[in-house]
Amino acid sequence: MNRAVATGSIALTLASAFTLTACGGSGGAGVAADAKQTLTVWAMGTEGEKLGDVAEEYEKSHSNLTVKVTPIGWDVAHQKLVAAAAAGKLPDVMQMGGSYLGEFADMGVLEPVDTKTIHETDYFPAAWQQGTYDGKTYGAPWYVDTRVLFYRTDLAKKAGIEKAPATMAELRSAAEAYQKKAGTKWGLSIQPGGLDTVQSFYQFLYSAGGAIIDDDGKAAVNSAAAVKALENYGSYFDKGLSEKSVRPGYDVTKDFNTGAVPMFFGGPWLTNLIDENYPDLKDKWAVAPVPADQASVSMAGGSSLAISADSDHKAAAKELVAYLTGAKGQADWFERTNDLPANTEAWTSGDLADDPTMQVWRQQMDTARATPSQPKLTEITSKVDTAIESVTQGKSSAKEALDKAQSEIEGLVQ
Amino acid sequence: MSLTTGPAAPQAAAVDKSPHGGGGTGRDRRGNRSLSKHNLTGWLFSTPFLVLFGVFMLFPIVATLLMSFTDFGARNVTRPLEAEFVGLDNYTRLFQDDKFLKALFNTGYFVVVGVPATIVLGLLAAILLNNGIHRARTLFRVGFYAPVVTTIVAVAVVWRFVLDPSDGLIVSLATEVGLTAPDFLGSETWAMPSLITMAVWRNLGTVMVLCIAGLQAIPADVREAARLDGAGAWQELRGITVPLLRPTLLYATVITTIGYLNVFEEPFVMTQGGPSDSTLTVSLDMYREGFNFFHMGYASAMAYVLFVVIMGITVLQLRLLKDNTR
Repeated sequence: MNRAVATGSIALTLASAFTLTACGGSGGAGVAADAKQTLTVWAMGTEGEKLGDVAEEYEKSHSNLTVKVTPIGWDVAHQKLVAAAAAGKLPDVMQMGGSYLGEFADMGVLEPVDTKTIHETDYFPAAWQQGTYDGKTYGAPWYVDTRVLFYRTDLAKKAGIEKAPATMAELRSAAEAYQKKAGTKWGLSIQPGGLDTVQSFYQFLYSAGGAIIDDDGKAAVNSAAAVKALENYGSYFDKGLSEKSVRPGYDVTKDFNTGAVPMFFGGPWLTNLIDENYPDLKDKWAVAPVPADQASVSMAGGSSLAISADSDHKAAAKELVAYLTGAKGQADWFERTNDLPANTEAWTSGDLADDPTMQVWRQQMDTARATPSQPKLTEITSKVDTAIESVTQGKSSAKEALDKAQSEIEGLVQ
Repeated sequence: MSLTTGPAAPQAAAVDKSPHGGGGTGRDRRGNRSLSKHNLTGWLFSTPFLVLFGVFMLFPIVATLLMSFTDFGARNVTRPLEAEFVGLDNYTRLFQDDKFLKALFNTGYFVVVGVPATIVLGLLAAILLNNGIHRARTLFRVGFYAPVVTTIVAVAVVWRFVLDPSDGLIVSLATEVGLTAPDFLGSETWAMPSLITMAVWRNLGTVMVLCIAGLQAIPADVREAARLDGAGAWQELRGITVPLLRPTLLYATVITTIGYLNVFEEPFVMTQGGPSDSTLTVSLDMYREGFNFFHMGYASAMAYVLFVVIMGITVLQLRLLKDNTR
């Protein structure tokens, strides 16, 4: 009945046993970039599937290289990386989710990025910050994602809403108008609880000027701004504007299509998903920046590319990473995956420069705020998830919930 | 880990001690003789098993025990020897941890409601298929057993559809007849019963198969004699079927209890322990602490507490339910 637990723990104990015997690792001078060699690359999800095509192209111009891409499911990625790190068997190049980086950098298994060839100024600040831990950069920004407001334009007309809500107050009145005048079931879809509820809350938190961990690296989740943001978030549930019921595996696009949900905050991948699954919805929806409170600040997510500290192929790996994170490589990557480029220069041509929808993402990215690189980030955010849920379910006030989270988080921040 | 293997050992031993067993001890005595050629061959043949058992069972069990006395965390994955010895801290912390206590309570709830339901429904299904339904019996047997061999992910897709609060099967049916169905997975009151229902549906097939085998071992003349004496269906069930099925039912109860004490998959795929931890079970809490937060030491302590609980309950069940009349 708990085979997952069993296999997981076996893997981990074995992994730790290996380290006992295989301490050290090579990490020597390594192979020159132009020598004949095989580069191993791990990437997750859709990226893992599409990266193989890029690798093939790349091999054409680098005849000495064989680039072996292994796609890994996001659900097992973390465990596989930890086990590999423990065994000293990380691939030469790996995709690092923003929330993983702090943990692996802390383990000392990542090679610092060569800032002479990969320049901070070429990237969105939030993207760069995500690859940085303890003042050093370990991940080169590969792609970014952020959340913007998706809303139904056809229902907005019915509800008498003339333009996209630009402030938090307007967001509230838009939600009410949708429900009352256009007859939608809900006003706005935000997650009431469960895993990663915090991703839904970031838009409120950051726009109000709050943060989980402030710029000095201290827990600050019960600041006045954060309390105000959570009160605002919770009020949507109080007033019946958002669904209180926690629904695991909830697909918001289904309700967006039927009109039950007229507004939600979503990531860039949803644009394609809606176009493909609900072609009838075309021209009936649009995206807009996060409504401003103190400012309009969204969360920044995405992935970096990191090189293993133990790799023997660092020189060639650095060249590959430089290509993938460079303007040309990123523009090509956008064509293939619709992942938003982290490199700002990639946004100067093609659809990225012309398409008005893309401009909303671009604009949001400029101010987006990255989650801090912390080794215990998963645990920290889970405390915030719990606090949010206790407010949306009407069990405690925003202040009480966040005070409790603050005291728990203080011990986890490094 | 220890959870799946630990309880199996005492259970097997206990079954051997039952009046029907007893063969085990004799064989053990033979093994005590000095290392003859005979014995060597035996050892050689068992080596592959012993190696695999040692590497994949014994080592993790011992490592988990050691880890439970340390603060083993994420950074110790690369530096395991830097883990600090903390004595019984993890264990004392566990019993002050509201979340763990809640998980313990939820697991108890799951067992107390789920086990009787599974056994009774499994037995009824077996009786029905053994006597009642003569036509299409195979079809029904397969139908009842299919959930046992279906992967949990496929099961989850179906049950989510059944329980969905906006357009699910139950909600739609209820609306049809003018009732309001509760929000099964989203409400703290209903989430656990929903998961238990799902687990019963998934596991009654196992109990059914065991019981059918047991029922077919009951001699027909015993039943005939009872019928001639004028016993009705209820009296036959109480006087003949259940007593003669006792060993089968005991076995079914013990394995179902162990399974439900370990329950992980249902809350993992359906609710992630929510809403508000109302479906957080010990195994799920352990998984989270261990693999999401990397509190390996703490999670190991949890594993051992669960092991002791399972062991205790299993021994108790064997004592209470064993046939004392013989």
